[in-house]
Amino acid sequence: MDFLYSYIILAEVYVLLGLSTNLLVGIAGIFSVSQAAVFGVGAYLVAHFLMTETLGFIPALVVAAAACIALNIVVTLPSLRVSGDYFVVTSFGIQLLATAVFTNWTNATGGANGLPGIPPPDLFGLPLESTGQLVILCSVAMAIGGLAFWLLMRAPFGRLLRAIREDELAVAAAGKNVLRAKVSAAALAGAFAGSAGGFYATFLSFVDPSSFDLDASILLLTMVVVGGARTLAGSILGPFLLLALPQVLTLVEIPTSIAAAMRQLIYGVLLILFMLFRPQGLAGEKL
Amino acid sequence: MAGPDPAIPSRTLPRDEGSPVTAPYLQAQGVEVAFGGLRALRDCSFTVDKGKITCLVGPNGAGKTTIFNVITGFLRPNDGHVSFQGRSLDGLRPQAIVAAGIARSFQNLRLFVDLSALDNVMVALPSQAGEEPVGALFRPLHVARAQRAQRERAREALAHVGLADKAGEYVRNLSYGEQKLLTIARLLATGAELLLLDEPASGLSAGALDGIMALLRRLQQEGKTLLVVEHNTRVVQQIADDVLFLHQGHLMAQGTPETIIADPALAEIYFGGAL
Repeated sequence: MDFLYSYIILAEVYVLLGLSTNLLVGIAGIFSVSQAAVFGVGAYLVAHFLMTETLGFIPALVVAAAACIALNIVVTLPSLRVSGDYFVVTSFGIQLLATAVFTNWTNATGGANGLPGIPPPDLFGLPLESTGQLVILCSVAMAIGGLAFWLLMRAPFGRLLRAIREDELAVAAAGKNVLRAKVSAAALAGAFAGSAGGFYATFLSFVDPSSFDLDASILLLTMVVVGGARTLAGSILGPFLLLALPQVLTLVEIPTSIAAAMRQLIYGVLLILFMLFRPQGLAGEKL
Repeated sequence: MAGPDPAIPSRTLPRDEGSPVTAPYLQAQGVEVAFGGLRALRDCSFTVDKGKITCLVGPNGAGKTTIFNVITGFLRPNDGHVSFQGRSLDGLRPQAIVAAGIARSFQNLRLFVDLSALDNVMVALPSQAGEEPVGALFRPLHVARAQRAQRERAREALAHVGLADKAGEYVRNLSYGEQKLLTIARLLATGAELLLLDEPASGLSAGALDGIMALLRRLQQEGKTLLVVEHNTRVVQQIADDVLFLHQGHLMAQGTPETIIADPALAEIYFGGAL
């Protein structure tokens, strides 16, 4: 049962990340491959606050989300001047930079060894230690995230972002403030990714740079593509499917030494196949 | 609005002899735009009168679209000024210029092809509730109510251009003529009173052409002022109250369509001596 719970919790954390990526990449068309870096900052911050006992879980989450809002705005700023393909390269650089910081700023992040012993989340002083409680916590978080995404997309804000993705100039000519809308999208994506980081760190009780590297960013994009870009259903479907894959692989008799590489290979092949044959994903619209 | 007799083509430019209390509706003064060594606009000056349909004509490369880009804030001129109803537009961003009451269409339409016709129009409705995330997240009922009213307004704009039954249609399923009408519906949604149309009649069949000319006249009757880039002399003759003839970035002449078309010197420039 714990095995199933762990899978659900992890998938729910990735749903929050998927919503973040979908908002930024799918809806607003800001093609960022550095979402995992923002996720990592959220995780390390919450870990830090809980381990030093400076803040409780919820305040730590709020501070981490706020920091990630600011960070994602800064990280996304180049996209306001550099468009499309060029921004992919810029955000690629940002992702590499973040991994370097996570790995080398040993005092704060524990370096490549990571940070072990992160306390479990608490609700206003009440620790949530059982996996069952964590499932409920993460499910609530996912529900709030999903509701927020749905509200944003059905409001004029969602339509504005879709229009910006298609033609910024035409949106400006329609009298809209393109810059403000893009900054808002970046801020929201930062809030989603940062809080996802907080749930991730407290659930695993351990974080290390490998969870927040380029592979993780690409996994996120794969989830969004496979699940379906620009839809709530796609953002939920993608993480649950792709995270089930490693579990399925454990049923197949392959040596653990190649299991990780095998997983990356399958993610890569899936990404290519979906882009070629079903760009709208399982439940989405064409990217 | 008192202006000079439109029957007299004014080879020289500004019409500052008008009533001293009323500033020209739209005025460009000495606008200069250079792209590297190319001077796209040179000392370009003209005025547009309120309530008129003014056609901007001239050979390819005369700077017609460039002047649109300057008026609507997409391009900063190297020199010169543009003012609207006496208010300077210098340095304003496109969104501020739309808010001031000027909106433009594009020659290549620039519609949002993945959105429905209705959504294309709704994007352009000014100051909507829930256009920023805080309102969208925390006042969902208010946003939903406001959206119902906005949807009605957008439907009216669509009906106005004759696309009432195409509201749910995606842009890619619309004919070219319908797409052109949709760009006008999107302009109307901004609420602007001065509409800058870049070749609204190009590429249309004869039937669609008559439709769009009738629409432009109707907009004029409803109080809009139109500045229209147009190549088709038949269209110019039929709709224009006033014609601005642009050549090599400079205003060569301003007058009624009859006087402009009758001027052999202008025909020589426009048709390269063919007439």
